Amino acid sequence: MATTINLQRDIFVNAIFEAASKNKDIYFITADFGAQALDRFRAELGEQFIHAGICEQNMVDLAAGLALSGKISYIYAMVPFVTFRCFEQIKIGLATMNLPVTVLGVGSGYSYDDAGPTHYATEDIGCMRALGNIEILSPSDSVSTYACAKISYENPKFRYIRLDRKPLPSIYKEGESRFLEEGICEIERGDEICVITNGYMMQKVMEAKARLAQEGIHIGVADIFKIKPVNAASLKKIANTYKMLVTVEEHFLSGGIGSAIAETCVDFNLNVPLKRIGIEDAYHMDNGGREYLHKLCGIDVDSLVERIKKCHSELMLKNKEPIPS
Amino acid sequence: MPNIPELIKRSRWLREELFEMVIRTRKGHIPSCYSCAEIVCALFYGGVLKYDAVHPKSRDRDTIIVSKGHASMVLYPILADLGFYPKEELQKFTRPDGILRMYADHSIPGIEAICGSLGHGFTIGAGLAFANKKDKKDFKSYVIVGDGECYEGSIWETAMFASHYELDNLVVIVDRNRLCILNDTEQCIKLDPMEDKWKAFGWNATTINGHSYKEIFQAFDTVAKSNNKKPTAIIANSVKGKGISFMENKSEWHNRMPDAGQINLARENLAAFTLTE
Repeated sequence: MATTINLQRDIFVNAIFEAASKNKDIYFITADFGAQALDRFRAELGEQFIHAGICEQNMVDLAAGLALSGKISYIYAMVPFVTFRCFEQIKIGLATMNLPVTVLGVGSGYSYDDAGPTHYATEDIGCMRALGNIEILSPSDSVSTYACAKISYENPKFRYIRLDRKPLPSIYKEGESRFLEEGICEIERGDEICVITNGYMMQKVMEAKARLAQEGIHIGVADIFKIKPVNAASLKKIANTYKMLVTVEEHFLSGGIGSAIAETCVDFNLNVPLKRIGIEDAYHMDNGGREYLHKLCGIDVDSLVERIKKCHSELMLKNKEPIPS
Repeated sequence: MPNIPELIKRSRWLREELFEMVIRTRKGHIPSCYSCAEIVCALFYGGVLKYDAVHPKSRDRDTIIVSKGHASMVLYPILADLGFYPKEELQKFTRPDGILRMYADHSIPGIEAICGSLGHGFTIGAGLAFANKKDKKDFKSYVIVGDGECYEGSIWETAMFASHYELDNLVVIVDRNRLCILNDTEQCIKLDPMEDKWKAFGWNATTINGHSYKEIFQAFDTVAKSNNKKPTAIIANSVKGKGISFMENKSEWHNRMPDAGQINLARENLAAFTLTE
């Protein structure tokens, strides 16, 4: 896995810059949140850059007005501010009118680990997933981030795209795009258990996978790139080839990807045991960084190894049980 | 100068149409519509608004958003009269076979955006004005906001934004009827001095009698001649329920329905409705 130095936001904004250079109807709106790549955008495409003030409500309905005038807009801020702060504007201005605006948030999960709960994004999937007409994408690396940007202007629609604050290691090859179609992609083949995760947690699950392999437990890993709608056919394919699914997320268990997977399993009669690993309802006001926060929540690599091992033992025990006559 | 006696007849017609629509289904907000009736009649019948009933989504026209969504139905009889949709739709207001809902939305010809929650339409209207500026289209975005709606913080976010970006093609009319659901606005949370607030945010602002066509046209005329790159706020002092004696200035009539006796009285009031300029 090659590590790229690019931040997801720079990859995304650079792609939008290229598109906006050719299409004057593309607008990039920020509520005072920046990116290195945005500096170039502001300098060279100033007419298509809008500072909305630190006024997220204004930013969203403004984008709605632009969309009603045939424009393609991006609204950009840290995840909590571009989602929770202006949630009703997103519901009314974007969701009900189904307008082609991309809500672009930076800082999924505990990205802003040093900032505290005001900056954490541990409920955004649950909230945004509840909206109608929305597509939610959560790219786990640079390749899929670039692809996200590309489809956002090639096929503009009401989308929420969540990015991490930190650079993420590659899981897809340059030019690969199967995640667009599949929504949930098997990244690593395993034996009994497949872990479904995305974003920052992908690398943590990969570390856990390596550790578990040393103990003879070979887990599969799948990337959930498209959180809404969940691609039921892809999930079914994975569910059919494994004995258990485990979701891992840096998000509250309420409404996160574990919930989305569980709902899809129920709705499509996918008869596979499912365990959810995520953040129990709690707001941590602790110093110590992202890894420390993960430890407190039981989603650090050590905990993941232990918890997945437990799932594995449960599964083995169950398989030994005689079939009731 | 538009024909004011004819417009006063329009005022009466609009009130009567709205009253009968509401009485038929017992749904809607009469007093909130009546406080801004002259404003919308002036816009549509006074030669102010450049509308296009045939191509209601065309970019080459002015737009109007009634951001105080509970009064968005004030446009329904006018849009029917001007051919945006058949007049029969007024009979089907809020009925399953009709297109007109209690709160207007963008699926209705002539309506720009969904409304109902306060503090959204104004910002969407600013977005329309911004797009027209960018595309060098010389059309205006008119927005009617309630004075109670000005409690919403989003109004002031956009007020700042619109003056910074010099949206002189944005005109907001504040329907200053001084009543929200529970009380006089100055008893709830003070909104005055309203004009100074808009001026402080970098807007042209003027206060008029919202039921005087003469003053309304003077205000729109000033907007048309203005060249100081500022958006304009017209504070239209108005009477909630204007035209029906027992509803005027009574906050409890916000969404109350009249009984049979009151319906007769209201009809008598409306038949005799006139305005003194």
